[in-house]
Amino acid sequence: MSNRKLDLKRLMFSMASLVDLGQEATSSKDLSAKMKAALYVITGMFSVPTAALFVYRPQRHDIELLVDKGHREKALQGTAMPIRAEQIKDLRANYPHSTRDLAKSSFFLQNRDILTKLQTKIVLPLFVKGEFVGALTLGRKLGGAAFRQGEKEVLRVIAHQMAITLHNARLFLELAQRAAENKRLYTSMQRIYHETIQAFAAAIDAKDDYTKNHSYRVASYAVAIAKELGWKKKDVEGIYIAGLLHDIGKIIIDVKVIQKGATLSASERTEIRRHPQISFDILSKIKFPWKNVEKFVLHHHERLDGNGYPDSLKDSELSDGVKILALVDAFDAMTSDRPYREKLSLGVAFREVMRCKGTQFDEKITHTFFNLLSKEISGEVKELQILPHLQNMDMSSFKAIASDSSM
Amino acid sequence: MSNFSLSSKSAQNVAVMLPKGYINDMGAVSLERTSEQLLGAGMSTLIVNFSDVQFINSFGVSIFSGMVQKTLEHNSVLYFTNMKKVHRDVFEMMGLIKHVKVFADEEEALKFLKRKRKYVE
Repeated sequence: MSNRKLDLKRLMFSMASLVDLGQEATSSKDLSAKMKAALYVITGMFSVPTAALFVYRPQRHDIELLVDKGHREKALQGTAMPIRAEQIKDLRANYPHSTRDLAKSSFFLQNRDILTKLQTKIVLPLFVKGEFVGALTLGRKLGGAAFRQGEKEVLRVIAHQMAITLHNARLFLELAQRAAENKRLYTSMQRIYHETIQAFAAAIDAKDDYTKNHSYRVASYAVAIAKELGWKKKDVEGIYIAGLLHDIGKIIIDVKVIQKGATLSASERTEIRRHPQISFDILSKIKFPWKNVEKFVLHHHERLDGNGYPDSLKDSELSDGVKILALVDAFDAMTSDRPYREKLSLGVAFREVMRCKGTQFDEKITHTFFNLLSKEISGEVKELQILPHLQNMDMSSFKAIASDSSM
Repeated sequence: MSNFSLSSKSAQNVAVMLPKGYINDMGAVSLERTSEQLLGAGMSTLIVNFSDVQFINSFGVSIFSGMVQKTLEHNSVLYFTNMKKVHRDVFEMMGLIKHVKVFADEEEALKFLKRKRKYVE
């Protein structure tokens, strides 16, 4: 084969190899896997049995081995070569460098042992827009021939390609780290947010001994129903928050009215009926990440027949969220001691709710709630959401009545 | 998925490897790894039969460069048989052919080896 023909064939082979290299560099493999594959392509282009790729670590002022080929891998694990800014500057001019050219450089002298261990003949620094990102070392060619000028040109193209790949991988890694940090912060803020809201709920309930933990139980029951109805996770969170804060307006209602044991006067009733609107006024100032929290709260004393307050809305105007809160708020009031009466038994409370079904409480919501409670009592469901809040209550009366009802 | 598979057999310090398919990605690295294992196990001659090899690119050249290097390090020899012209041209161009012996087929390689051993004995 003539020299010209051979050169042409080599050029074609190099071009095909550069295409292969581009495919490897842009593949979806992880960085080490794609760089290992890239090393195979590069070493194949020049019949070089050994090569290594190092990544620059600016904080440590060194380059760390990422992947290599042709060496005893275990012996090289964790290998790193120190490199200073002025040494990087020296490497920038006229690369690729043969180790003969570098023999007197401080970088070579400092890292001679490692470079010798790697059988290095060529050092190819990798830069992206002047920024140093790593280095590629190549061993001697099979047979020991020197790299030709044309091959050095190809090496410069390769260096550019490898540098961009490393740079992009580093950017991606930084982004992933930032995303992970943001996620951690978000989770932390979400936890603080929930804890703050729970603290508010505790403050509301603490105004009256009789309503201790009322908001928490309302929130828990509401979540149980919402989940049973197949609500999305975010909406379930929303009704949980609404449950915790539904009585926040009571904070500014006179404590004497709240704690009054006897029947309320007309003015006291008017006073206490202000609390949903006050709750709404307070909560509507907050931009919640959940939909309708303040609306659920505003209407949790509405009834299907329009006899509720503050807006006397009717069935079709009430959302499922409002209907859930209306039921569980009333149910918890029935099953808790009050200044004016002792708590009702579960069976009596059930009968009272069923009596008010269709006028005060929604049928679907009511059935969902009591069906779930029945399943919890009979052990059909593992995750108990209602029962833990009904301790010290007689379940037998509920079971008997529920099984007789048309639920 | 890699379009490559490898089978091998060995007897009396001679191993024959039969790669099949495309030697153009990491799937073919088993060829280099297997040759290292065979050399480590004391094989003095590795024969690679190319009859089922369809394609070799720079990736493949890298694998064979590694095999040549390891064979030299172990003072062993590497024979190639049943090579298509296109593959032989690639190896010639890349300077690999100087480091291996090429035979028309496996039988010829084994005959050569037998003669060589007789001569040595």
